[in-house]
Amino acid sequence: MGLLRYTLNRFLQAIPVMFGIAVITFLLVNSMPGNPVDVMLAEQDASPELIQAIEERYGLDEPLHIQFLNYIGFSWFLAQIGFPGFADAPPGLLQGDLGLSMYYERPVSDLMLTRLPPTLLLMMSAFAFALVTAIPLGVLAATRRNQPADHVSRIVALIGVSTPSFWIGIMLIILFSVQLGWLPSGRLVYPWRDPSHYGYGSTLELYYQTVRHLILPMIALGTLQMATIMRVERSSMIESLQKEYVKLARAYGVSERKILRKHAFRPSQLPVVTLVGLNLTSAIGGAVLIEMVFSINGMGRLLIQSIQTHDYQLVLGTTVVIGFVFVIGVIITDIAYAYIDPRVSYGEGS
Amino acid sequence: MAIGEQQTQEDEDSGSEFEPNVGWRHTLSKIKDDTTARFGLYVIAIVGTVAMVTTIDANLSTITFGRVENFTLAESVWYHPERHPDPGTTERRMPPFFVEGGSLEHPLGTDRNGRDYISRLVYGTRVSFFVGIVATGLGMIGGTIVGAVSGYYGGWVDDVLMRAVETLYAIPPLVLVIVFTVFVSGGDPDIIYAVFGVGIAFIPVFARLIRSRVLSVREMDYVEAARATGVKDRDILRRHVIPNSFAPVLVLATLQIGVTILIVAGLSFLGYGAQPPTPDWGEMLRISHQYMHSNPWMSIWPGLAILITIMGFNLFGDGLQDALDPRIK
Repeated sequence: MGLLRYTLNRFLQAIPVMFGIAVITFLLVNSMPGNPVDVMLAEQDASPELIQAIEERYGLDEPLHIQFLNYIGFSWFLAQIGFPGFADAPPGLLQGDLGLSMYYERPVSDLMLTRLPPTLLLMMSAFAFALVTAIPLGVLAATRRNQPADHVSRIVALIGVSTPSFWIGIMLIILFSVQLGWLPSGRLVYPWRDPSHYGYGSTLELYYQTVRHLILPMIALGTLQMATIMRVERSSMIESLQKEYVKLARAYGVSERKILRKHAFRPSQLPVVTLVGLNLTSAIGGAVLIEMVFSINGMGRLLIQSIQTHDYQLVLGTTVVIGFVFVIGVIITDIAYAYIDPRVSYGEGS
Repeated sequence: MAIGEQQTQEDEDSGSEFEPNVGWRHTLSKIKDDTTARFGLYVIAIVGTVAMVTTIDANLSTITFGRVENFTLAESVWYHPERHPDPGTTERRMPPFFVEGGSLEHPLGTDRNGRDYISRLVYGTRVSFFVGIVATGLGMIGGTIVGAVSGYYGGWVDDVLMRAVETLYAIPPLVLVIVFTVFVSGGDPDIIYAVFGVGIAFIPVFARLIRSRVLSVREMDYVEAARATGVKDRDILRRHVIPNSFAPVLVLATLQIGVTILIVAGLSFLGYGAQPPTPDWGEMLRISHQYMHSNPWMSIWPGLAILITIMGFNLFGDGLQDALDPRIK
């Protein structure tokens, strides 16, 4: 039972969850009374022919269960095998097609491709910030238990878990961009774009500007993660420092520094890895708010915009993709866990 | 240490000062000794009292006068947060008193409609406090039922429920609550939908925890005994399994109230939570966000209020956890 097979298994287990996400979001979005077209054309005096034409274009003239089969792309399979009644079914979720956005009049999947990378960039940098700050602080707090350093780090952690991320964002903007004028207050510079798009001379300047634009949203989103990771790192380090083999190493006269590095640190990272996986949901939720505060055109802002414009297909698409991002993120952390910890059994083959 | 010594030591411990290791008296006495937990409890008590008084005031005035604009307490103290002042009577977006242009008449200044900021802050306590508790309570009840049934019966019931819970868990709470609030309310969001939305979004967290507890409680002798004497499954669950699995759930609930307040503040910040003119901290931040340049003070106070409230619940929750679980320190 190798790591590869374990990975494959985890993906297979995720299939019912992904299907469930599609079901829940579809039901939620369709729980609104009335039809998206009515809402969209509410102000305009549209003729019945126009309404019918639009409904047909978006497949809204079908009954709800057929709409769902169309959405997940099951109808498309039925059409391929020539099942009667599904002759011209469109491709759906299973074929990677998320439908057509009514507001943008573009395929939803196209929009995802432009909006997902900024969100991923933001989240990854926030987690990087959280890990880089929280792990040393957590270790420091554990080694100086009940000393000033420990108390300070616990207070920081407490404030970190108690503060709304978007408020931290607002405070950072007020301090660093409005009052001091050091950093930009919004929008991101994407490192994958051509430097000339922003009017920068070189790639180096592009990266520099990317970092400058990322700092504030990264801190705002990462603070909560930092606080929770620091707490877990501290308690997990304390636990491993009390283990028998650490005592034995001490008795043998191994230096304290070497004990920390070789014996205590590595096993203490396993709970942290689990926590990062679990924290993905709060990070995605936080990203929605941070994107609104910093005007970043990511998935979260797209979700809010799609709700404001009553773009049902887009709401459905963003929610499903956000759910999928979470599921895939958890799988990745599970695999990382199995990779770090040789004791993890990969489960039975079935 | 000799074995004999250890024996006497243990005898002494369980002798004169004997207290059961689990039980509420023991927990409470431990919290009493814990300074931080006590501090958390004080914060909760203060915030709770403010929330209670403002709620009673708001409802009483509505009942007695039949109009929302009449508020007994607030009328006598400051401008009521839900009352729009007459145009021209107060300056809009006045800064706090310690900044030039402010006055002690409105210690923290006024908002964009000329309403006193500090009374809006005080009245904003209601929404955060009660939504935090009620929504978390709903999630706790729902999660306890799902988790206990799932853990106790096992088999296909467990499989089905756990897959459903995993699915729900995969949608980030804030996203789920936004979509729930907007679509279930039919495009007319209100805080009550947020309460149910958060309740549903929290079912997985509680269900997972209680399920893991029930799995071990289920194997206990007293459950076996109850089953042998022919007690119905439903009664076993209600009388034996759930009460004996409940302590960690209570800790989680206390900590989760903080998360609820964070989510609801975020929801209001996006405009899908409490609707104006109801004073709410998240809503106040949504408005003040537009005046970051001209009046940064407006953004500071509601955030501080949220921070202090959540900190109270977190401190108390941590203390409760330490008291209930002797392993963690």
